[in-house]
Amino acid sequence: MTAYVDGTAVPLEAAAAEAARLLDGARLPLVAGLQTDVAGARAAILLAEKLHGAYDHAASDALLRDVGVLRQAGRMVTTANDVRIRADLVLLVGPRLTVLWPELAERLALAAPPRLSPDKAARKIFWLGGEPAAAAAIGATHIGVGADQLPLAVAGLRAAVAGRKSRLGGALAKSLAELAENLKAAHFGAAVWSAESLDELTIEALSGLVLDLNQKTRFTNLAFGPAQNGVGVLQTSGWMTGFPIRTGFGRGYPEHDIWRFDANRLVDTGEADAALWISAYGAATPNWRRKVPFIALAAPGTTFSYPPKVQIEVGAPGQDHDAIEWARDVASFTATSATTASEAPRVDAVIGLISEHLKGN
Amino acid sequence: MLIRLAGGHVVDPANGRDGVGDIWIRDSRIIEAPHGETPDEVFDVSGKIVMAGAIDIHSHIAGGNVNTARLLLPENHRAHVARPAETPLSTAGWSTFETGCRYAAMGFTTVIEPAVPTHTALHSHLELADIPIVDKGILTVVGEDDFLLNLLREGGNRTAIADYLASALAQTKGLGIKSINPGGSVAFADNARTYDLDDTVPFYGVTSRQITEALQQGVMDIGIAHPLHLHTNNLGIGGNVDTALRTLQAANGKPLHLAHLQFYAYGKEGKRGFSSAAAQLAAAVNTTPNVTIDVGSVMFRQTVTISCDVIRQFASVGTAKPRKSVIFDGEVNGAGVVPYLYKAESFYNAIQWAAGLELFLLITNPAQVFFTTDHPNGAPYTTYPDLFALIMSRDLRNKWLADIPKEAAELTTLASIAREYTFSEIATMTRVAPAKLLGLKDRGHLTPGALADVAVYDDDPADRARAFRHAHLVFKDGDLVVRDGQITHYRTGRALTARPAYDSNIDRRLSRYYDEVYGLSRDLFKVPEHAIGVDHAFEEVACQG
Repeated sequence: MTAYVDGTAVPLEAAAAEAARLLDGARLPLVAGLQTDVAGARAAILLAEKLHGAYDHAASDALLRDVGVLRQAGRMVTTANDVRIRADLVLLVGPRLTVLWPELAERLALAAPPRLSPDKAARKIFWLGGEPAAAAAIGATHIGVGADQLPLAVAGLRAAVAGRKSRLGGALAKSLAELAENLKAAHFGAAVWSAESLDELTIEALSGLVLDLNQKTRFTNLAFGPAQNGVGVLQTSGWMTGFPIRTGFGRGYPEHDIWRFDANRLVDTGEADAALWISAYGAATPNWRRKVPFIALAAPGTTFSYPPKVQIEVGAPGQDHDAIEWARDVASFTATSATTASEAPRVDAVIGLISEHLKGN
Repeated sequence: MLIRLAGGHVVDPANGRDGVGDIWIRDSRIIEAPHGETPDEVFDVSGKIVMAGAIDIHSHIAGGNVNTARLLLPENHRAHVARPAETPLSTAGWSTFETGCRYAAMGFTTVIEPAVPTHTALHSHLELADIPIVDKGILTVVGEDDFLLNLLREGGNRTAIADYLASALAQTKGLGIKSINPGGSVAFADNARTYDLDDTVPFYGVTSRQITEALQQGVMDIGIAHPLHLHTNNLGIGGNVDTALRTLQAANGKPLHLAHLQFYAYGKEGKRGFSSAAAQLAAAVNTTPNVTIDVGSVMFRQTVTISCDVIRQFASVGTAKPRKSVIFDGEVNGAGVVPYLYKAESFYNAIQWAAGLELFLLITNPAQVFFTTDHPNGAPYTTYPDLFALIMSRDLRNKWLADIPKEAAELTTLASIAREYTFSEIATMTRVAPAKLLGLKDRGHLTPGALADVAVYDDDPADRARAFRHAHLVFKDGDLVVRDGQITHYRTGRALTARPAYDSNIDRRLSRYYDEVYGLSRDLFKVPEHAIGVDHAFEEVACQG
């Protein structure tokens, strides 16, 4: 059995009907988590619209830090493949990068010279604010900076590149001055980072640093997002509504507001009075503190801090069923085939079933 | 379902029709007037203009760069136009859904997204699938990829290049081949800041001209209808008419489509060294019948420029408004998203606006000049109705001319041009010629057997723009989708593809190349038949043979 109402196993149809009842009765229903493939995200966003509800994603903080700086300041960006074949200098910035993307060094082929390098010289690799052992493991020159010092260090680096003074002193200032010279001497350099481990100030300083470097040479950013199709959901939201996640339909048209439509805030303040939680990739659970009644479309075996009204076990995209997902490897969407195809229902199919039970359908 | 459109002014230049008559539709097709049958529905369209559905050959409506523009500019697309409450996401401001609705409301039934890099085609198709009502197609961008440039460096084996292009179409589900400032992305990666027709691509030792010639020949060799769709060098720079003229020559008498020519119609006259050279360029187009062009008109309003001409886009970063841009490198193509505000009081923008209209009016054959704003680069497609009105009325142009700087007006010939487009010329330019250019044999005309894509407009000389913005009736595949300018319901459009045959040896070579260079399967970059998740997502367009 894969569907439950109040903890009791029921047929899928009955669970869908109960889910529809809960959503129909809500003043402001919330679609949250959204850890699903493109088809699941499409269905969820259309459902949120139909309900005049709001939607948010579990990885919104990182996703919107990235987008937030992008839409303030713009950016120069590229793909992992471009860095792999072209970059003669790679500057990693921030902690945990090889934890967030374990295949990073392999994907960028950091150990080999770039294919399109004219002289086949080894790549220069630096890691500002990473872990010494992790830096050593990928052959990067480690420049130690604590997380709280990172915004200052990147700003100091930007100043050094621009030939301006900064308040930084000592060994760090010296390392940054050396690094600045290396960056300026790069033919095609890339700053590699993730908004999962950087704050807005650092991202903005980095964006500015890269722009500055392009006055004389070529430099770009490789910013990678959260795994499990978080970027794909953001992109899907973009073309469907014009806006990223944290968008609501309460007034009958999409409005985007990163504060108003923060899922946790909506629940904790009581504004949202019912929720649909989606975590198809694994056992992820919500972080809200108030006990809003909710429906969970979740990976099998997910246990919640308080029981969902309705729980429906769904298949994992790319594992139980074919899926379209965002792939870091190619910085775009790819079609993935099921690795171990199963009968576990898909998020879009379950949402379709719930929609059929909504009033007015 | 049998439908009769009764007593309208039928404008169907493909069949020499320009007068009052009926159009009959059975199910999805136009038919001859049947004998002794009673239609299920009769629409009295007397006094209205009846045309085939319009076809837009060049409009950036979907894909990674368009979506980046959405994310970059949330302030530019607050929801502003209400749509029927029953249709999903009918109120979203700058969404795929809005795109389908607005195009359909203007009587457009087929729209081509002209710039899809080979590595992000799935993204483009996912967005296109969420554009309701209209049919779509993509042009696949080539010319910057290391594999192809190596083929050219090694002497440009003609068969291999043709196979490569056919394989790229198969991989991306494309309808045609586009090249953008050929070699320019590679040059920019090598720190070039300008790049001309006879400049050499770093590393590869071939010039932009040589890439263009090889692609032009390759497209002819694979036998698809649409000739190479070229965005040539030096876009947007004063004096670049010289580049456009040299590109017309470089076509060597062979078929070529030159995109958004307005952006190359600039001379160096006047004290600012910027003038309209559109008259000179139009004269050259008139004597180069092997080349078709689209205009890429500028209209005065806020927009965002979205282009794979990364060298050009990077150069524009300083004039971005609002002041934020995204410049994309990428392994097969660069791109840039740069917001821009065209203002009537700007000398430069006024020249651009006038140059676009001059091209429309001075190129004599309406089958050689295509109606575009290079959406959204010159203006959003939502300005089309105003543009139709401008080319149809000298009086209206004179009113607009009074609002631009006098010194700009004096550096164009626009004020002296009396020509006013007729409905028949409009239909040739936006229906007959695009269908022919893209090889869409059953579109662009109202011949019995044609697809029943039909637009019916009010004939209102006092307000042409209103009539073109809100069509009276629009049928897609014989299905009434617009009534009085309002969308009645959604339907799913198809993506048109060309699938020329080729020697699959090139696929094996490409697979080895991807394994070796990227350490990834080339299959990751393919658009699978089933990926879109709806039946009949694609429709194959026959090749010339």
